[in-house]
Amino acid sequence: MNHIRNFCIVAHIDHGKSTLADRLLEITHTISAREMTKQVLDDMELEQERGITIKLHAIPMKYKSLDGKEYTLNLIDTPGHVDFTYEVSRSLAACEGAVLVVDATQGVEAQTISNLYLAVDAGLEIIPFINKIDLPSAKTMIETVKKQVVDLVGCKEEEILSGSAKSGVGTTEVLEAIVQRIPAPKGDPAAPLRALIFDSVFDEYRGAVAYVRIFDGTVREKDKIRFFSNGKEFQADEIGVLEMQRKRTGVLSAGDVGYVIASVKDVHDTKVGDTITLVSNPAPEPLAGYREPKPMVFSGLYPSNSDDFAELRDALEKLRLNDAAVVFEPETSVALGFGFRAGFLGLLHMEIVQERLEREYDQSLINTVPNVEYRVTRTNAEVLTIDNPSFMPEAGVVEKIGEPFVKAQIIAPSEYIGGIMKLCMDRRGIHKNTTYLSPERADIQYELPLAEIIFDFYDKLKSLSRGYASFDYDFLEYRESDLVKLDILLNGEPVDALSTIVHRSKAYEWGRKLCSKLRELIPRQMFEVAIQAAIGSKVIARETLSAMRKNVLAKCYGGDITRKRKLLEKQREGKKRMKQVGRVEVPQEAFLAVLSMEE
Amino acid sequence: MASLYLHIPFCEHKCIYCDFYSVAPTETGGNYESLTGRFLSALRKEIDVRSADARFQVVYDTVFFGGGTPSLLSPSNIGEILETLNRNFSIRKNAEITLETNPGTVDLRKLSEFRQVGVNRISFGVQSFYEDDLRFLTRIHTSKEAVENVRNAYHAGFDNVSIDLIFSLPGQNIERWASNLRQAVALEPAHLSCYSLIVEPNTQLHRMVQAKQVSTLPAEEDANLYEFTMEYLSAQGFEQYEVSNFAKFGYRSRHNSNYWNHSNYLGFGPSAHSFWSHDEAVGCSSRWWNIANVVEYAHRLGHGHMPVQGEEQLSGQQLMEEEIFLGLRSDGIDVAGFRKKYAWDFLVHHSSTIKGLLEDNLASLSGQRLRLTSKGYLLCDEICRSFLT
Repeated sequence: MNHIRNFCIVAHIDHGKSTLADRLLEITHTISAREMTKQVLDDMELEQERGITIKLHAIPMKYKSLDGKEYTLNLIDTPGHVDFTYEVSRSLAACEGAVLVVDATQGVEAQTISNLYLAVDAGLEIIPFINKIDLPSAKTMIETVKKQVVDLVGCKEEEILSGSAKSGVGTTEVLEAIVQRIPAPKGDPAAPLRALIFDSVFDEYRGAVAYVRIFDGTVREKDKIRFFSNGKEFQADEIGVLEMQRKRTGVLSAGDVGYVIASVKDVHDTKVGDTITLVSNPAPEPLAGYREPKPMVFSGLYPSNSDDFAELRDALEKLRLNDAAVVFEPETSVALGFGFRAGFLGLLHMEIVQERLEREYDQSLINTVPNVEYRVTRTNAEVLTIDNPSFMPEAGVVEKIGEPFVKAQIIAPSEYIGGIMKLCMDRRGIHKNTTYLSPERADIQYELPLAEIIFDFYDKLKSLSRGYASFDYDFLEYRESDLVKLDILLNGEPVDALSTIVHRSKAYEWGRKLCSKLRELIPRQMFEVAIQAAIGSKVIARETLSAMRKNVLAKCYGGDITRKRKLLEKQREGKKRMKQVGRVEVPQEAFLAVLSMEE
Repeated sequence: MASLYLHIPFCEHKCIYCDFYSVAPTETGGNYESLTGRFLSALRKEIDVRSADARFQVVYDTVFFGGGTPSLLSPSNIGEILETLNRNFSIRKNAEITLETNPGTVDLRKLSEFRQVGVNRISFGVQSFYEDDLRFLTRIHTSKEAVENVRNAYHAGFDNVSIDLIFSLPGQNIERWASNLRQAVALEPAHLSCYSLIVEPNTQLHRMVQAKQVSTLPAEEDANLYEFTMEYLSAQGFEQYEVSNFAKFGYRSRHNSNYWNHSNYLGFGPSAHSFWSHDEAVGCSSRWWNIANVVEYAHRLGHGHMPVQGEEQLSGQQLMEEEIFLGLRSDGIDVAGFRKKYAWDFLVHHSSTIKGLLEDNLASLSGQRLRLTSKGYLLCDEICRSFLT
């Protein structure tokens, strides 16, 4: 155990986490240069494209230190995005130390701080590494960045390593620091088993595979194991460590990182954060920190073609097998037919799920405007949880509505503070604090309703700060707000899939903009269409889409009726992609009108 | 009812907007005369071969010479073709026999001879009475020739005269279009066809529009002109019986009505289309079309092959859909007949669509006929689409 180091790398996106990981793997000959594709750890197609890490991975490296001894360095990778904060915290919990990567040209960013805090909370030894020092612009920045790191981490300047993960400069020093500074794991191999699940994946042939860190005890193949969260028992079929592929070792004990396969058919039984123990000699208490994955953002998912409902259901079932965080249940929309209401950890998670459904499962989707989950107290004191705006009870029977608030942290050059504060105010933010990391760099803290940041907030923030602002958030609490349900009516018929819940102060403006956007997106019909926004029975905005004037080919076509029929058949294909609301044909883009509304 | 169509694939000049198949002398490499001869003998051959099929031995009600420019042929050529047809098919005594005529290709004498060989309906491609419009369209005739020859046709003994006009020409305003309609009506034709200028792919006009040498009329203007056409001609005693066709009482084109009623027709000549329901059963109908190349057409027939380029069998569903759009474009849908023919109740299956059309005054339902109103004709394609499921 003295020769094991469990560590992770934390960084803001694009600061070079994956590049550093690649370099460490190369230096330790864990993987030959020939096997090396760029950024090995991100093996999902989508991850590579987006340059972000979505799922967790773990990989052991053999390293012969300057002290002459060989160590096993378990690198536990962490997802880099706000949506996966909980999963980050669990992989951090599996480590004793963390390498904090900071881009020498960018300095400390929002996720640097949030991830660092998580690492400090988990009691990890921090090794700061300033990356990209070979870039020309690093020269002028590096002293400032060092100062930022000293202030942030509370370390001495000489404890900060620096180099270039890309060229390999300074990376051996990182390995040496991991051995020297990060403590060896503690724990008693003879104690009752406590293994933390920090990730799980679904293997088509083997079922759910739990990635674990053993804190106490030893687990061997054929042992009967139990999951603390649900009490379910399984037999461990295969146990091993994670190299580029799984490597069977038959046993894992205190301090080790590896995997357990136990014929678990459902990935939901191997929940991240849960503790595994032995049935024969159970631990009295699980490891601290487990919580159920909690969806924060919800959206309707419908097949573009109503006939494809069953296919979408199959695709979602399959996707759920390797994404325990996505939840869904069937729902029906008058406008869109049969579909699902799905819950996601956050906006990015939602986009990833939608993209995977389209790419990996070949689904053509209509997704409705995302929303958060509301807590509605009725006048009879009954409390409801509403994750679909069209189910919001009538205003008359509602006592109060609570909505989720988040604690948001924005780090940006100080010249953008004014714009950022205006954006946050527009989004009903409550300013908590602004501190300066350096004279040019501010750390701005806000409390914001989650509903206000789940679409286009991040894009707006990026554009008003020319890409320099970084942003992170964490769930805070539910708070009562003056919210109303805004309905959209087409010729008097409500379009359930377009209902939204908005703050009363914004309802008029929203209604007006939404109606005007819909007027652009809905093609002219054979009759006039009234597009109205209403709160309850009160219409607050209206646009009129005038009737189409002429659509007929007044042409001589003689006996060539085939051509005429083919033209009509082509038009019919176009019609299949339209959704019918009363007599009005609505194109699919209209259901996402809110997302493309101009401020 | 059954019809015969003959496609005469020759033009003195190809108009910039036209996408019907034809060749001009300049395109034949000096072989125009001999090509005409080869075409005529191939046409005779095609008629001979088709007529040998017992299925096609029915009584025909209409003959239509289209093109191209059929009036480029001599009256004796037309007479010979009619003789060939009469030898091979049974054509009703009072059959409607139409000749599409370019006003720049005839005079009183030629018109009289056409009448003498059996043609009894003349359809003049007048298009406009403005010289600059005619030049733009690259027509070979003048406005004066058009007026004279319409009058000559009456002198030659034709009482069934039709005039074709084109609206939505670039720069055309309602005054100019109204003047065209007035001048046409003043010639007292029994029938008028008013087509909107459509920019078809593979035409000179299309290339000109692409190159931004010509700008088409805005959709709103096009709608105004069409609306005016329907109002004006209705006031002048013309009945609209199809999107683009208007007739005095008793003078609807029987030939075109047959197309729109799903009646049988045989087409001869390059690019001609044919349609035939083999028996009473729905779904045993086919349509085929000839190759759109006169050299190849003559070559194939010369070697004992039929010049058919493509053919399709129409399913019951396709026939039904065709019948819906053809009916809506023309004289309406006979709901009772439809129910009987397809065992399918139009009114029940499309009740909400029909209810909406009636409410919006886009269609009328009188007796058992669902018919579009003028307002409905304006949106005809949109309405047809709403019936396709």
